[in-house]
Amino acid sequence: MDSPEPKRTVSREDASKESMAISRQVIGINFCGPTPLMWRADELKSARELGIIGTLVGSLARQPRQNTRLGRPLELLPEEGRLLADMGRAAVIPDSTNEDPEVNPEQVQQYHAGMENSFQEQGAMALEDRKTTLLRVMTAKHNEDSGSQEDSNGAVRDRLEALDHGFSFPRTAMAVQLCTARAGLSHCPEVRRLLATDWPIPRDERSETRFRVFRDLRRQGFYLTSAGKFGGDYLVYPGDPLRFHAYFIVVCISMDESMPLCDVLAIARLGSNVKKTVLLCSSGESQEDDGEEVVYTSLQWSGMV
Amino acid sequence: MSELTKKTDEDVIEKPLPPNWILQHPMYQHLMNLDVGDSAQVHAAFLVYLDLAEVRQWKEVSGVGCSELRLVLLEGREKEGEPTQTVLPLPVHRGLCHRSVRSVLARGSPMLLCVVASDSSLVYQRMCDGLLTPDPPVCIQDQGRRQHRKRRQQH
Repeated sequence: MDSPEPKRTVSREDASKESMAISRQVIGINFCGPTPLMWRADELKSARELGIIGTLVGSLARQPRQNTRLGRPLELLPEEGRLLADMGRAAVIPDSTNEDPEVNPEQVQQYHAGMENSFQEQGAMALEDRKTTLLRVMTAKHNEDSGSQEDSNGAVRDRLEALDHGFSFPRTAMAVQLCTARAGLSHCPEVRRLLATDWPIPRDERSETRFRVFRDLRRQGFYLTSAGKFGGDYLVYPGDPLRFHAYFIVVCISMDESMPLCDVLAIARLGSNVKKTVLLCSSGESQEDDGEEVVYTSLQWSGMV
Repeated sequence: MSELTKKTDEDVIEKPLPPNWILQHPMYQHLMNLDVGDSAQVHAAFLVYLDLAEVRQWKEVSGVGCSELRLVLLEGREKEGEPTQTVLPLPVHRGLCHRSVRSVLARGSPMLLCVVASDSSLVYQRMCDGLLTPDPPVCIQDQGRRQHRKRRQQH
């Protein structure tokens, strides 16, 4: 670049248009077996703005052997996906892995060619890198010792030549880029609306109860995540989980299901110990989707020792 | 179990209780006569009654029958002048359904579940309607250990 690029100021109109575009976009959900997943970064952002948190479950390319920090895809609770679909904000992207690979041999060939190119480029860059490092190390060494200029130059040349001949870039060290924005994982929004299928999760009573509780709490403005660590169904936060502690541990039960008393006492005590209220939640009787009421019972520390 | 005695000039003779003293206790008989709960639940209710009335010194403790649930409930006041509370006594081996809990809550008084174990130990659990915000954690102030934690993670 000979001259600096002119600064582009983003007008308020542009910014609000962009945010409107994000807020109107239909989120694509890919299923892996029964599990709903989201891959695209801008869609994760949209989902979060709608109060859908999910869990990151992907390995990070540069930090693979740990699970403190994970990356995409975002795994959704069945209830999160279903709520997005019911709101008309998400569409299930049909699984294209069953397509016959023979159908498009050209694409396959292009892919392999691209990989080979990348491999050669990366190999060349790795070699350059090694040479630079070698030079730096040997120059530093030379500055320390007080050997003659000629000898050290010769030594450096020899080493560089050896490197040229002996260096090999292993296939396993190659970095592979996964294009999540394109490459068969998405369709344009119009096509998505056409392809949208019914939410595929089987609707048994327990799933139905869980969903109604999820929807009701979400409507009240709470943020929900799964509560496996606490033996419940959901953890309920008054705001984004990154900023708040959870208030409630939700246990979804049907009105007539018999709970062992030991379990009730155990989870109540757990709640007291972690300063969260345990909520027993059941869905009311009404058959209609909109008429039913969710009832909540809070388990409270009795203070009676 | 025997009654406390005082060896005074009146020479009160210690009267040993019969082994089936519970069955003869007027409150127990009242609870049985309500003809609602099974004997195990009535027995549990009686033990809770003793705890509330004798140990915790609650006032006006009485037994009421709930025909809808086929259970005996207890009512009483923790202190004079305080509102009445409802206690649901249950033996530990029983299950409890949410519908029953809502039924007791619908009576309008603050509710306590009391679970009675086979060794007669009692655990009380308060239940209320709605979403009760928990008490906040004791110390939310940053304790300034971020640097220390960072260094630890590098090793």
